[in-house]
Amino acid sequence: MESQSQGSSSSDFVRKLYKMLENPTDENVVRWGNDGDSFVVLENEKFTKHILPKHFKHSNFASFVRQLNKYDFHKVRHNNEENGQSPYGPGAWEFKHPDFKMNNKDALDNIRRKAPAPRKTNQPSEEMIIPAQQMDMMSNQLVATQAQLHALESRYNELSIHHSMLLQEVIGLQKTVVNHEHVMQNVMTFLHNVDAQRRRDSRVANPFPSNGNQTQNGNVDGAQNQSAEDDIPASPLQHASKLLSETNADVMLNPRNLEHMNEITMRMNGTLTTPPPDLIRSVRPASRGPPSAGSSTNSMRLGDIDNLVYPVGQTNGIDPMYSEHINNIPYSMPPKAADPSNPQFQETRKKSAQVDPGWVRQPQILLVEDDPTCRRIGSKFLYAFHCSIDSALDGLEAVNKMNAGSKYDLVLMDIIMPNLDGVSACHLIRQFDNTPIIAMTSNIRSDDISMYFQHGMNDVLPKPFTKEGLLHMLEKHLAHLKKPLSHMDGGMVAPQPLASTRQVLKEEESPAKSPATATWNSPAPVPGVSPVAATGMSEEYLNAVHANPAAYAVQGVPGMPHGNPYNTSPQMPMPGHPQQQAGHRRQISDISGGENMNNPAKRQQMYANAPLQPQPMNPMQRPR
Amino acid sequence: MKIPGAKDSIDEATFEQILEMDDDEDEREFSKSIVYDFFTQAESTFEKMDSNLEKKDLKTLSELGHFLKGSSATLGLSKVKDSCEKIQNYGQKKDEKGEKDITEDEGLKKLETTIKQAKQEFHDVEKVLRKFYNDEQ
Repeated sequence: MESQSQGSSSSDFVRKLYKMLENPTDENVVRWGNDGDSFVVLENEKFTKHILPKHFKHSNFASFVRQLNKYDFHKVRHNNEENGQSPYGPGAWEFKHPDFKMNNKDALDNIRRKAPAPRKTNQPSEEMIIPAQQMDMMSNQLVATQAQLHALESRYNELSIHHSMLLQEVIGLQKTVVNHEHVMQNVMTFLHNVDAQRRRDSRVANPFPSNGNQTQNGNVDGAQNQSAEDDIPASPLQHASKLLSETNADVMLNPRNLEHMNEITMRMNGTLTTPPPDLIRSVRPASRGPPSAGSSTNSMRLGDIDNLVYPVGQTNGIDPMYSEHINNIPYSMPPKAADPSNPQFQETRKKSAQVDPGWVRQPQILLVEDDPTCRRIGSKFLYAFHCSIDSALDGLEAVNKMNAGSKYDLVLMDIIMPNLDGVSACHLIRQFDNTPIIAMTSNIRSDDISMYFQHGMNDVLPKPFTKEGLLHMLEKHLAHLKKPLSHMDGGMVAPQPLASTRQVLKEEESPAKSPATATWNSPAPVPGVSPVAATGMSEEYLNAVHANPAAYAVQGVPGMPHGNPYNTSPQMPMPGHPQQQAGHRRQISDISGGENMNNPAKRQQMYANAPLQPQPMNPMQRPR
Repeated sequence: MKIPGAKDSIDEATFEQILEMDDDEDEREFSKSIVYDFFTQAESTFEKMDSNLEKKDLKTLSELGHFLKGSSATLGLSKVKDSCEKIQNYGQKKDEKGEKDITEDEGLKKLETTIKQAKQEFHDVEKVLRKFYNDEQ
């Protein structure tokens, strides 16, 4: 046994085998072959029962054969011989290995376990390697796809912005052309009159021109002819009239198509904004109100355009728009995992009531709510989110506050309130202000919701609201007030014109709750942080939009993407009301059309109170 | 935080988030004052409901139902909330889900029973909550 190297179990088996054959007492069961270069199991049964247990501590012939095979022993077949039978008898098993020979113990060292051993360890590792490679490939592909997506998506963005710009332009142009047309027609009418006048004058000066017929026909005929002649204008005028009627823009241009397209674009943008988790549509207008409205619109609109960016549903922690997320793929992240780039979100929800979402400055929130319970709880939550809260007991107070110049970053508006309901209040506020307004209500049937949006609400927070739902709303609509995250660049943090100097917050102290738990179920954990934030494109677009009030004036709709889409809804709670015309929302005088929800009493009060007029004497006003 | 006896009359999660706002878990100053104010609010609302039921003023009843629905929902008092929603719907001459139209008489009849039921549910949950807050003290 000294010949064995390293005492490996491999030669162990061979040594045992050799030792077994050295024992002559079992010769009639197992013995060396006749040539000493093989061994023969003569009596299978006895070998299995008696010899195997003695030497190998088992009695399984098959496993013994398998073992032999592992060491590269081969069964010797005798097919070549005449009867195909082994010389040792029909039941004999003869095994051979080139290095397994009688009287040559040293050669035993050469007998090693063959491939199976390495193969056995290899196989799994190969399996491991291949998936790893596949993972790499997949990752690379994903990165590439992601880049593609990104490119496509920004391209799409750009194009859709171009598209809306063009649409606006074309619509504006059409209107201009039509206006010109009308001007031309007026000019023509005027010229006709001048022409007729001129001819009349010339006739008065010379009542009977050198026309034989007329002289003969006398005065009556002359008068007829005169009037007939009045109808025949000078030929250049005739020509112009003809041209005008041929190219009548009123007939040739059909603004409907474009307006329809425009609506569709707006609607698309609207619905792309946020995929509704249920019937609640959390669409936000892409832009709203007259271009002159408020300086704060800019940042808001930027956010809107960002949001239009990435439509799909649950990201499961892997938003293809974020390259960092690629690392998440191999791990089974908890569903709706928080954005890993925002460490705040990774902390689990603490019981601590204080949640600091990390504002750049303290957001000013106006909470409009008549119910003291809701108001107090809402305020408490907002306070916990480090917001500064002002409250109004009804819509009227809210409108007055805002009309008196109080600036807020967000308005949370109950719908059904005495004096002035939330929808009316929102409608009124929209005449002069673009602060995001969120409807807080338990009436969240789809027709209700469309009405909210139609009147300028930006979102809906279903009641009873949860803390998470509320926080989510804040984060969604006040993204510009959030401290920039690592992957957000400057574009996102639009400076608020009304920025207060209050700098708040130790971000590390209090973890934000994971938005994953929000009842509102946002697809994007961090709203408004799309990498395509505030591209130059959107800036341009905005500028264009701002610089082109004419287009707005004639078109009337661009500020109101959500008005028209619902026009056709048969479920509108105010069927047939003229206010459904989108263009109307700009005229204060038209409000009467807009407020007929189901509560005329409130409406009347609203008119009686004339809330639009700044009323310095109003005790409810508390301008800051 | 289990509220003993709350069972299905209180939505734990909703109520819990209000309890979380308490600075001091022993005092429960904030949530307690909210809840107790709600008691007052509910009582006065029920009184108004009674008088409007006499006047057969369905519209006002609906508004009152809505009002109480909002605050009870915010507190997570699910049973009261559900009844208030029904009151709101009946007041609009709709069935309890607010889908089908019903006659005024039907509405009044249903309002009467539902208001009674809402009161009962309110008093039940009031007992539970009063006990909860007394225990805490």
